[in-house]
Amino acid sequence: MSPALAERIYCFLLRAYPPAFRAEYGREMVLLFRDQCQESDVHSVGFWARVLGDVARSAPALRLEAWLTRWSENTRTMEVIMKLAAMLTVLLGVIGVLNAGVEWGAGAAQTIQGAHAVSLMLGVFASLLLLAAGVALLSGTPRSRQAARLALLASVVMIVAARILFPWMSIFSQFVGIGLPVALLIALYLPRKASPLGAA
Amino acid sequence: MRKRQAGGPPEAYLPLPPATFHILLALADGELHGYAIMKGVAARSEGTVRLGPGTLYGALKRLLEAGLVTESGERADPERGDERRRYYRLTPLGRSVARAEARRLDAMVRAARRKKLIGIRPA
Repeated sequence: MSPALAERIYCFLLRAYPPAFRAEYGREMVLLFRDQCQESDVHSVGFWARVLGDVARSAPALRLEAWLTRWSENTRTMEVIMKLAAMLTVLLGVIGVLNAGVEWGAGAAQTIQGAHAVSLMLGVFASLLLLAAGVALLSGTPRSRQAARLALLASVVMIVAARILFPWMSIFSQFVGIGLPVALLIALYLPRKASPLGAA
Repeated sequence: MRKRQAGGPPEAYLPLPPATFHILLALADGELHGYAIMKGVAARSEGTVRLGPGTLYGALKRLLEAGLVTESGERADPERGDERRRYYRLTPLGRSVARAEARRLDAMVRAARRKKLIGIRPA
């Protein structure tokens, strides 16, 4: 086997490494491999066993590191999205309370039935819980995240109960009132931290 | 090696993986390119530690990210042809970490000596 062919084989093996690592160090690695070829017997099984062993040891570790770095960046993006969602939750909580107040005012001019009144109260509590969940999410501690989960869950239950008791909410209010807490609950249960350990 | 922000106390980086310590030892004498580091490590370990290109540059990447090593330019090595090679050197933090790891290993060797696991006097 000629050194040129050995180098071509090594260039092919370099595909096992992450593209960014290859772009940064690929040329240096090929140079080093060329040096090794000059001082070793490229026909020997031992030489190729060492080359393959090196690739098998280092490439998966570097792939994993690259993947963890990407995941960590995605996690940071997710944190920003969660902050925005928390602000939206606070806003929707306030709007929900005002909406229930307006409905109560409109109903007070006529006669508010028992179920209607209970449904309105549930709507107010659900909105207050949304507001509390938003504030808890903005504080960002693990304890407040847990509190936000419970508040969101209770809010969904109350909105559904309010809808069943008396359908005073618009379709849009119901969609947002149920959809937003459910989406936040899913996001809160996603894994959030990448391992800080690099490969040894 | 654990990924750390550059600038932490040297002890925060310990213990170092053997290959990483060997690389820092190789660079303790001055700047070197990849192949010279590899040869230095093989010579110092009497052939017991052989760093392939992937292991060497993977470790160098982590050392650069941790701020223990820095690139000191790119030039040809007259002994190895015209190709330009990247040279690496220790940063002050890298030197402190290497020193701290040497002290840690020295303490372990002294403990092993006290337990009579190895010779009483250094050879």
